[in-house]
Amino acid sequence: MANFRQFRPDDLNKFSKCNLDPFTETYELGFYLQYHAKWPSLFQVAEDQHGNIIGYIMGKLESSPDYYKFSEHYLPWHAHITAVTVAPEARRLGIGKMLTEQLEAAADANDAWFVDLFVRSTNHKAIQFYKSMGYSIFRTVKDYYGDHSSDPTKSSRILRHAQAHEERRQEGARSGKWREVRGGPE
Amino acid sequence: MSYGRYGRPALKNSVDVQLQTAFTDGNWNTVIRLADKRFKTLKDPYYEAIKIAAESQLDGTIERCTALIAIDELVKSKAVPDYDTVELLEWAARDYLYDTEYAETLGPLRARWVKANPKSKFSVKCLQSCLEYWDLVSAQQIATTLDKAFANSGDRQYMFWSITLTYLLSISPQCSEASKKVYSLLVVKQLERAADITENSEKVESKDRGLLQEEEISLYYRVMLSHGSKEDFVSRMESSKLGPLAQLKEGRKDLFYQALNAYESWSEWDRIYDLCRQALRLGLDGATPTFSVCDYKVWKKFALAASKSRDQETALAEVQSILKEFIALKTNTAMYKKNIALTLLDTAFHQPTAPGSSGNESGLTPRVIQIGLYLDSYFDKLSAFDDVKDFVAELGFEEVKGLMEEVLPKMLEEKSEKSSQVILKSLICKLRYLLTTCTQTLSHNPSVVDGQEHDKPYQCRLCSALITLPCESCLRSVVAEAAQIYQQIVDDSELLAAIPRLDKDPRIDLALVMGNSILKLSGLRPRTSDVAPAPLRDVNPSLFLQAVLVLDTQLKVTPGDVALRLLLAQLYLLLGCASYAYQIWTPLDVKRTIQDSLSPLFFDRISSLSPGLFTGTRPLMEPLRSYYNNSLHSSCPLRIWDAFGSGSYSSILEMTEFDSKLRRSCTLMMSIVEERRATRAFGGKIECEIGDLALTDNIDDTTILLNKTDYGSFVNLESPQGPPIQEFLRIGPELSNERAHLSFLAEQYLDLIHHKPPKDHRPYKPSEASIKERAYTFETLSQLNNSLTSFIHRPTTPAALTSPEATYYTVVSLLSAAVLTALSSTRADPYPAETMSVLTSSIRTAFTGLRTRFTSSSTSSSSPGVDETFYSLSDMHTLSYVRETALAMRHSAAFVQAWNDRELARDRSGKSTLHKDGLAEMKALDAMAAKTVTEVKGHIQKLKEALGQGGWLDKMLDWTFGGEKGEKEEDEKVRKAVEDVVGGREGAEEWVGKVVESWGQGVKGWGLVKME
Ligand SMILES: CC(C)(COP(=O)(O)OP(=O)(O)OC[C@H]1O[C@@H](n2cnc3c(N)ncnc32)[C@H](O)[C@@H]1OP(=O)(O)O)[C@@H](O)C(=O)NCCC(=O)NCCS
Repeated sequence: MANFRQFRPDDLNKFSKCNLDPFTETYELGFYLQYHAKWPSLFQVAEDQHGNIIGYIMGKLESSPDYYKFSEHYLPWHAHITAVTVAPEARRLGIGKMLTEQLEAAADANDAWFVDLFVRSTNHKAIQFYKSMGYSIFRTVKDYYGDHSSDPTKSSRILRHAQAHEERRQEGARSGKWREVRGGPE
Repeated sequence: MSYGRYGRPALKNSVDVQLQTAFTDGNWNTVIRLADKRFKTLKDPYYEAIKIAAESQLDGTIERCTALIAIDELVKSKAVPDYDTVELLEWAARDYLYDTEYAETLGPLRARWVKANPKSKFSVKCLQSCLEYWDLVSAQQIATTLDKAFANSGDRQYMFWSITLTYLLSISPQCSEASKKVYSLLVVKQLERAADITENSEKVESKDRGLLQEEEISLYYRVMLSHGSKEDFVSRMESSKLGPLAQLKEGRKDLFYQALNAYESWSEWDRIYDLCRQALRLGLDGATPTFSVCDYKVWKKFALAASKSRDQETALAEVQSILKEFIALKTNTAMYKKNIALTLLDTAFHQPTAPGSSGNESGLTPRVIQIGLYLDSYFDKLSAFDDVKDFVAELGFEEVKGLMEEVLPKMLEEKSEKSSQVILKSLICKLRYLLTTCTQTLSHNPSVVDGQEHDKPYQCRLCSALITLPCESCLRSVVAEAAQIYQQIVDDSELLAAIPRLDKDPRIDLALVMGNSILKLSGLRPRTSDVAPAPLRDVNPSLFLQAVLVLDTQLKVTPGDVALRLLLAQLYLLLGCASYAYQIWTPLDVKRTIQDSLSPLFFDRISSLSPGLFTGTRPLMEPLRSYYNNSLHSSCPLRIWDAFGSGSYSSILEMTEFDSKLRRSCTLMMSIVEERRATRAFGGKIECEIGDLALTDNIDDTTILLNKTDYGSFVNLESPQGPPIQEFLRIGPELSNERAHLSFLAEQYLDLIHHKPPKDHRPYKPSEASIKERAYTFETLSQLNNSLTSFIHRPTTPAALTSPEATYYTVVSLLSAAVLTALSSTRADPYPAETMSVLTSSIRTAFTGLRTRFTSSSTSSSSPGVDETFYSLSDMHTLSYVRETALAMRHSAAFVQAWNDRELARDRSGKSTLHKDGLAEMKALDAMAAKTVTEVKGHIQKLKEALGQGGWLDKMLDWTFGGEKGEKEEDEKVRKAVEDVVGGREGAEEWVGKVVESWGQGVKGWGLVKME
């Protein structure tokens, strides 16, 4: 059973069901608080009846700095999913999907053009999950996780999902304000 | 002002290049010379400030103070300071400026500057600086000035900064009680005014001073809840603009929840009912996304509120009807379906017709049928047991029978797939275990049966056995049943192949059921007070070891299972195998942020169990220390400025509260104290007195320290009527305010008596210094004694300590009094013989109690099966506190003696030396303690020898499997089940090796511990 709401810092004391799972990274306190401070509506949790957090999503809104404007990697205003996780006992109930949809709605409310994220290319479960929600692979990046190896399993994928504001991106492309990005092997 | 290299402020543009360069390069002597020259020629005081800033970078103490002096002068002058000068001086003083000093100097200076230059772009920088030092008074003043200056500019941010800071100030210790009241009124008024603007205008524009954004309204709700009256809040919630329903239509769920929680705290059930009903209707009509309303919490509150309604029947019918409409929705996701299914179950338990536990009727009540329906859909989900547990525990006995004997067997028959069958069977096992922890399965039994007295006060209504709690006969059959299903899975390759496709490997559940049942059979019980004996003292060792073995065997098969790891780590700590427990704990990868809530599960009391763990290559507490240092390095809550910048007002309030709680964490205190104890144990140097650490800065006796341990990942098969599983598994009571304070105070006492003035310290006026030291020592001892005594005598304290801890803190408290008495009676004074003898004899009595507990354990005749080594190895906690207590006594005596020697050296007349009787009493304590320390050493030596002998494999296997001889028939049933699962005695050999090796490592660590 689950309740969905915005993250509160106290939830960090109830993270064990999610964060003891090896696929979920634990960050420094400042990292969580930064998201809560800057984009509170993009940090949502699911809790069970005892207040344990059984899923959460953290995201942010950003665009590349202006001096990237003419680079092919320039990213206009968009939402980025930094982390999403659901406790093993609560998987395949649609919790991950609902959290993501909630983030997308918040992204829409903030005029984001699209939502993107990074995922390890070996995390097939997560890739399946995103694909089921209409995300597609945008680019594959080597060595995103910083382990400096040429091991293909260490590469990661950028997945993207167009938002309601995507049409503006098209407009932008037409009016030449920004160039369409087509990158990566996929 | 911008910032240059190394965070140095950039100098004004008007400053010449030569000086700029010297400053940027950090050539402080050049800067001093040049700035001095410029000051003399230009008479601009800014150059003097540059000179002072450069001087403060030099090493001398006096130079360092010049910045502080300059700041003080600016404060006194009452003139508006130059902005760049303030920046420069603040930077210069940054390393030795306390927050309180900031609030008295730079904070007011900045506020003064902003008042004079409200529209400057540097005003915000001033606010930020005040927040960095958490000077709320100045920050609030600045925000108010900014708000006034920009009132008509359409920049709403300043208004809400001002409101937020006024609120923070109204709840902050920086504010006097009287001012708190004023600020509370002020903030409520401000928000009410803003709310009224919104209420009365057609549409609020961003230039208006009304409430618009969700964060602003959230701030309004929070402040009204905290500072306003209930009536006001309730009436304001009726608003068609700012009320929770109106806000829900905008998708603002958080506000809806705030209102709901407030009503709940006031038990306003009719309002809850109405709010939930209307909200759910909005969801049905599509006026708000289902995401906003379909939480289980909403349903649960709705059903509960309906059951409390005056017209209960109609209200519950409405719940049912709305539920039905939701069921019919096509868009429901699996999660909502599950929430709805649970609500149906929940409402069944709220029906007025639901029979109580008396139930003579048939057991197939609507409640049982609903449980059946729920399980039929969800039995194969990992959470199935947790979902129904509380409901099952609430059933009456007849209902229990209906569920266990009719509904579930029938469901089982209907499952055709083998894997579904074993999953359901293991769920049934878990439920059977649960029922052994529920009281409705018991009936009171007359104490005399057939004219014979007996000591079994209950009869189990499920198996008819006469029992003491819990029903052992049921537990044994649960073990046998679980083992049999386990075997069935292991022997069936088809089932084994199916496991990866299942939600959870049923073998884990079965092993957990077996493990828990055998632990209960072994007699393991919660130790929730200071009179409880050592953890394994009254436990059947064979059964305990069997339980551990079953679980350990399963962990090898499924190493990724978190619950198994957590459980085993605790069990190995109980068993005295700390190094092995650590190996099991480590892969859980508890690091960074989650340490505060999870590390107590392993590290609490660790120095008393196995100090040897601290001798590893990486300092054991380093990750915790660095977590707290990183997170609390400044008194300003981490990242708070980000929240100001983003207008996240509710985040500001939450982050502030979180920060305050983190500073008061019991885990933080635990990490400091455990590390200090271990450092002392190995004769290391403690760098800083505990009271001088930045992390303990704000902790005094009135601070309530918080235990935030997270047990959420334990599999808890116990009924809600009894203690949860973790209470069975701990060495003693969990972290608590009482224990944390006592440990803090005891460390302060040790700091005092271990304090040695630096060797080359020659006070200028020895007799004056001695008077000061004397006053300081007396004052500290008397304060510590008061605090320790008051914490020890709190009614809640006995339940917060193990027995050895209780003795230790009692003795330390008495020692502080004894030392104070001994030091205050010089030869010239009358000797307070009675006081001193009461104190020392109390110390002796307390210490003897502890010592007896320890020595009797090393000599008492062992229980059948195991020898005394087993008990000793699993009770190093007692040994550790015998040692700590004895050493505290010895060091106190040495402190008194050294004091006396110093006085003798200082004042040859001997008048100020201590009274000989006081000295003698302390010496007697020392002698007693010294003797015990020798016993402790001998004890460790004996353990070392015992472990060094051969034959441990057979010995342990005999201990575990009961050596067959004299085994009770009923125990045999359990042993056989265990042997089946673990592969017999042979299957256990590797495990024995690990346990014995870990014991050996623990004892080796103890061998290195200093005994003086
Ligand atoms: C990825 C994860 C968040 C999915 O959460 P979830 O709540 O179980 O996902 P949902 O139930 O919402 O699934 C939505 C859809 O995604 C797809 N999906 C989800 N998990 C899947 C899996 N294990 N295999 C295949 N598809 C999957 C399915 O299409 C699913 O719809 P369905 O159940 O109706 O078939 C969760 O598995 C998880 O926390 N993994 C560990 C952490 C992680 O890897 N995070 C991603 C890092 S970027």
